[in-house]
Formats: sequence, structure tokens, C-alpha cells
Amino acid sequence: MAAIGVLAKEAADRELLGLMLGEFGHHAEGAGRLEEALEFARERRTRAFLLVDGAGADAESLTRELIRAFPLLPIVVALKVRDASRAVALMRVGACEVVAPPWTPEDLKASVSKGLRLQGTFITAASAAPASRSSLWYALSVALFLAAGLGVASLKRVEEKRLAAATRVDRWELPVSHPAGLAFDGKSLWLVDWFTQSFYALSPKDTAVQVVRHQTAETPVAAAFTGEAMWTVSADGTVTRHMRDEKLTPLTRYPKAAPNSAGLAFDGLYLWTLDARAKVLRKHLVDRDLSVLATYKWRGVKAAGLLFDGKTLWSLDAADRRLMRHGLERPEDVVEAVPLPEYAEGAFIPTGAAWDGSRFWTVGEAKDGKGPARLVRHKEEAF
Amino acid sequence: MRAPSLVPALLSFPGSAARQDSWGRLLKITAGGGELSTAARLAKGERVAIQFDLGGERLLMPARVHLAYDDDGQCVAELRWSDMVARRRLAVVLVDVLSKS
Repeated sequence: MAAIGVLAKEAADRELLGLMLGEFGHHAEGAGRLEEALEFARERRTRAFLLVDGAGADAESLTRELIRAFPLLPIVVALKVRDASRAVALMRVGACEVVAPPWTPEDLKASVSKGLRLQGTFITAASAAPASRSSLWYALSVALFLAAGLGVASLKRVEEKRLAAATRVDRWELPVSHPAGLAFDGKSLWLVDWFTQSFYALSPKDTAVQVVRHQTAETPVAAAFTGEAMWTVSADGTVTRHMRDEKLTPLTRYPKAAPNSAGLAFDGLYLWTLDARAKVLRKHLVDRDLSVLATYKWRGVKAAGLLFDGKTLWSLDAADRRLMRHGLERPEDVVEAVPLPEYAEGAFIPTGAAWDGSRFWTVGEAKDGKGPARLVRHKEEAF
Repeated sequence: MRAPSLVPALLSFPGSAARQDSWGRLLKITAGGGELSTAARLAKGERVAIQFDLGGERLLMPARVHLAYDDDGQCVAELRWSDMVARRRLAVVLVDVLSKS
């Protein structure tokens, strides 16, 4: 309970305001003049003053006088006539609250209690507007933070998996022992086996044999694919163009067009063959005679395969166990070499290579020629 | 920093609101907005012009009520100053007042 001085000219106002303050649990002492109010304040340790403005009383000057005597006491002014400018003027001279007419217990209670716990305005030059964060905002922020954390973690995990997969080298044992070449048709890997005179279509996922085609009329040593045909070359140098049907029906034969071939590749316009004995690359025009347009020196040791990766030619050197890159403009120059450490032990000799669009595949024959052949999927290369 | 007393403010409303002028106290003043305690009932989104004196300058700050709630019978409103020119002027005054404190 606080002692509050009520300063009003009219007794009716003092009585009304005193009753209201009494309802709130305060002790009100009415005064009609300033001197009475000051005396009351000195005797009863007043906590606040309530002044009435109007009806002959000027609250502005009264406020000044009271503040001069009691600078720390809050002063609440009750207006008899509503006037916002007057209210602000009263507050400027020191009134902490101004109550508008008609006076209601609710307004008076709010103003007096506010006045009793008066503090100054908090001032800052920070440009941010006052924060108004609801609990939902905080919950969403936490959820967003957690989601972002999980997202980053899962992205990292995916990237780690991708890197692990990219650097992984896979090896499979094959049900053949004498591989001679390897090719990729866009879906399957095609293994050429000279001993069984057969072509094996293998799944790139698990190397399961999907199709087997026997070509008993020839001894195939290499193969290559175009959009509508399969090209093969046999041990006697005969190049054959096959229809890509179930039986790989031969369409055209070019007898002895590519002698001693170790590899065959198609760059979209020309057919390329690799002569292992003469150590030359030949560029053929796909005409009636498969004419040789140009011959380029091959700078490897033991030719074993040839492939086109969509941009450049690659040849496989079984002796140096590496893949060599050749530009189409100057194929005699080796512009890059990719070593094949998977063959470093010497137990297998690489005999064919293919490119599936992202990785190299090679096939190797056991050194003694008796064990099963090995298919290797190499790690991703960045070119 | 905290001022020795609460800054009085005169509230005026757009003509379309058909409301009488009112008054209140600024509990907080920043360059972006303020917090006002008033007996007038304010609603979120309402437009109101706040006139107050600070650092010897009389400022008229058009504002929008960002949030309003009842606090012990009085309405406390969080305001966002909506006029960029007035905001800049207020920022200059605030820096001046704070540099002298």
C-alpha cells in the first residue's frame, strides 16, 4: 500500500479519486491547495501525487512546484477536459502519466501503477527495429538450423560416398580365358574371345553375361560400335560390319583390310585400326574398300587395344601397362598416359580396353593363359 | 543508455481513422522503431504519427504498429518508423544525444 497525495481544487474530485485509489489498496490524502499537499507529503512519506488539471487549477505549474520540492516523486495528472497537446505539455514538465476524462478505475489504476514503477526511455542508435520474437519464431529457427545441419551432413556423406565410389577399383573373374578385346555399346560391355570365337555381352553393374554370340566363321580379335552397326576385325585382318540384331548378322566384309589388328575404334566418321606388328595407327574411310586415308606411327611397345572416348583416341600398351591418349589431329603424339597399376603384379596381361562414358574398363588374360580372365573397372579419371 | 525519464509523445492518426489525438510515453527509441506505452488502444498494422522532443529537436515520426499488447491496463506498442527521411533525421539526433552522454 502506498500513500498518494491527491491535489484537486474541487472536493468532489478529491473524494472520487480518493475512493478509486482506496479501491486499489492505496492510502489517499486529499488536498485543495499546494501547501496542504506539500505538508502531507513531508509527514506521510508520499510515494506519488495525483493532480487534477482544470476547474481553476493549473496542473502544469503545480507539477513544477511539486517536482522542485520532491524531484523523485512520480506525478500523475487527471485531465478534466481531454486535450492531447495539454497532456504532452504536462508530461514535458514532469508528469509521468496523464489520465484522460472520464476517469475510470481501470485507467487510473494503470496510470498510477505505471507511475510508481517509472523508468527512463531506453535510447540506442542501433538501426534494428525492436525485436519481437514469438516462441514459434524461435522453434522455427531451431528447426531450420537443425535441418540445415542435417542437410550439410547428408551432402557431405553423399560426396564422400561418391568420392569413395570414384576411387574404387572393381575386379571380376570372367568365365573365359582368352580375351582379345573389349568394347562398349552404350549399355553393355562386349568381350571378344578369340579361343571360343565368341562375343559376350556383360552387364556393367555386375558383369553378368547377358548375351553370347558365336562367330565360327572368324577368329575375332577386336570390336567397335557405331549407332547402327558393330564392327569386328579378325585375326586374318578381315573387317566385318554386323547388323546390331540378335544374330549380329554380317552385312559387309572387308578381307585383309586391317592386318595384325590389336584394336578397332570408330570416331563417328572414320574407322581406326591399330596394327600391332607394324606399330601404326590407320585411319580408314568407310567406303567400299575401307580405304586407308592416313597412317600414323604408334609409339608404344605392345599394342593391345584401341578405343574412342567421344573426343580422343586411346590405345592400350600391354608391355608398359598403360593407356595412351592420342589427339585426332596428330595421332602419332601421345598427349597423356594413364598407368594401370592393377596389372603391376604381372599375373594378368591387358588385352582390351573400353570406355563407358565415365570410366575405363580393361580385360586381362592370365599370364599362363589357363586361368579365368579378369575384368577391371578403373577409378574415375579427371581429364 | 537510459534517459532519466520517459519521453512523452503526442499521437496523431490519419484522417481516415477518425480518431482523436492521444498521448503516451516512449519506453524505447531506436533508429528503426520504438516502443510506446499509451492509454490509447492501438492495433497491429495501424498507422500513427509520433511527435516527440529529443536532444532539443522536435521530431515527427510516421510509424506503423508492428505489435501491440496490453500491459497492466496500458497499451504497449512496438513501432516501426515508416518514413526514411524521418528515420535518417532521428538517427542523426540519436548519435548526437548519445555522443553527449
